[in-house]
Amino acid sequence: MKSVGKCYSVLFLVMAAIQFRADAQSTVPAMAGLSSQDRMTVADLEKRVREYTELRERLELELPKLSKEATPEQIESHKTALQKSVLNARAGSKHEDVFTPAAAKIIRTIIKSGFKGDDRADLRKTVLEAENKGIPLKINIPYPEDKEFVEMSPTLLQALPKLPKQLRYRFAGRNMLLVDRENGLIVDYMTNAIP
Amino acid sequence: MDRNKGWVMRRFFNVLLATALVFCIRPILIAQTTAAAQSPAGPLLSLPLRDASIRFLVIGDTGRGNSEQYELGRVMFNYHSLFRYDSVLMTGDNIYGKETADDMKKKFEDAYRPILDAGVKFYAALGNHDESNQRFYEYFNMKGEEYYRFEKNGVAFYSLNSNYMDKRQIDWMETEFAKDKSKWKIVFLHHPPYSSGEKHGSADSIRETVEPIFLKHGVDVVFAGHEHFYERIKPQKGIYYFISGAGGQIRKGNVKERSPLTEKAFDSDLSFMLVEITGDEMHYQVISRASATVDSGMITRTN
Repeated sequence: MKSVGKCYSVLFLVMAAIQFRADAQSTVPAMAGLSSQDRMTVADLEKRVREYTELRERLELELPKLSKEATPEQIESHKTALQKSVLNARAGSKHEDVFTPAAAKIIRTIIKSGFKGDDRADLRKTVLEAENKGIPLKINIPYPEDKEFVEMSPTLLQALPKLPKQLRYRFAGRNMLLVDRENGLIVDYMTNAIP
Repeated sequence: MDRNKGWVMRRFFNVLLATALVFCIRPILIAQTTAAAQSPAGPLLSLPLRDASIRFLVIGDTGRGNSEQYELGRVMFNYHSLFRYDSVLMTGDNIYGKETADDMKKKFEDAYRPILDAGVKFYAALGNHDESNQRFYEYFNMKGEEYYRFEKNGVAFYSLNSNYMDKRQIDWMETEFAKDKSKWKIVFLHHPPYSSGEKHGSADSIRETVEPIFLKHGVDVVFAGHEHFYERIKPQKGIYYFISGAGGQIRKGNVKERSPLTEKAFDSDLSFMLVEITGDEMHYQVISRASATVDSGMITRTN
């Protein structure tokens, strides 16, 4: 009886070790692992992102082109002008216009299944220790200039739906923002992105 | 009793003598230490200073606009007359906080005005406090790109954006490195793949992505910032890693004691690096705000 108990203990330890190893080695699932319904949701997200990008590109073309060797005044004026025209054009936009509830759910799943064990702890540590607390969860406001940008894990960026170069995923606490890299506007956000 | 009295007296005089000696010698010792650190005779150089060598500075985490940054800027300029460097690599966090035109002047231009006026070019990498729009800033020479490459006499420099390393950037790295025939490949980025910092430590997720690419394509040296101190890492898989992130504020005592990664560290004052490349040798000298040399040495290219 005693030896049976010992056997179970060893078996338990071996299984725990296998599970731990699986967790440690888990990689963020590729988009290929998504169901057809999920793929449709991702396609819809990409369409919404594209619509925003096309709008802001069109608006940027109306502004004087920013030189690649610009003065600080030119950079500031370009940013402000682009902010203003995008805000005017998106006056009627709402939260969840881009990160729909279905898209947000997929993003949560990607993060949850891709970051387990130590990886998740590291991600939470990086995100929660960042000096960017107190960012209002609101769309069409600029990302506060005095708040740092949390570095995004390259592995996570490869797993999330791809964004055009004008847009960025950004963590603000456990929440995820969609930010325009030039005008700094928060285009949309989703809560509790990190489990 | 008399014997005891004599012993007490002797002890008393011994203590008195020792105290007097300490008081006499201490100012001399302090004066000597200060003299060595501040080098009143001017900046001291021990690099080879060979003709036609490639010379540059490495600074990081500079953009505070505080008096410390300005003091270090003056020391950097002092070394220009002797070392004749023509470029400065910035390892990120170039501008903290707001980035208005006034901020750019206060946190960068005014701090390094004499160096800029001497024709030295700054090349920036983006840190976690930097807006992407810095890539358009005339003095950062990024030519509108968040990651870019430039070359000087057979030395290729790669500035990476470790803050947002997406597939686009990884593909760019692979393509550029693959066609690069340069003798030296030098990378500078913000987040350190290896670090003994208490606050941040090694950027594991960045390292897991970039290290295999660096190894595959024979990167020789990597300069990073993020940690507000200087650290020379023991060579990792044949690559030399340096952290030069004490350009604007020091994080005193932040290097972990007895870290297995550390070859040499300096975390008690601001610092910058002087680097000279000549043939297969790269010489470096690390200078503190007090103009003291806190590390120096030479590495030989092996790739």
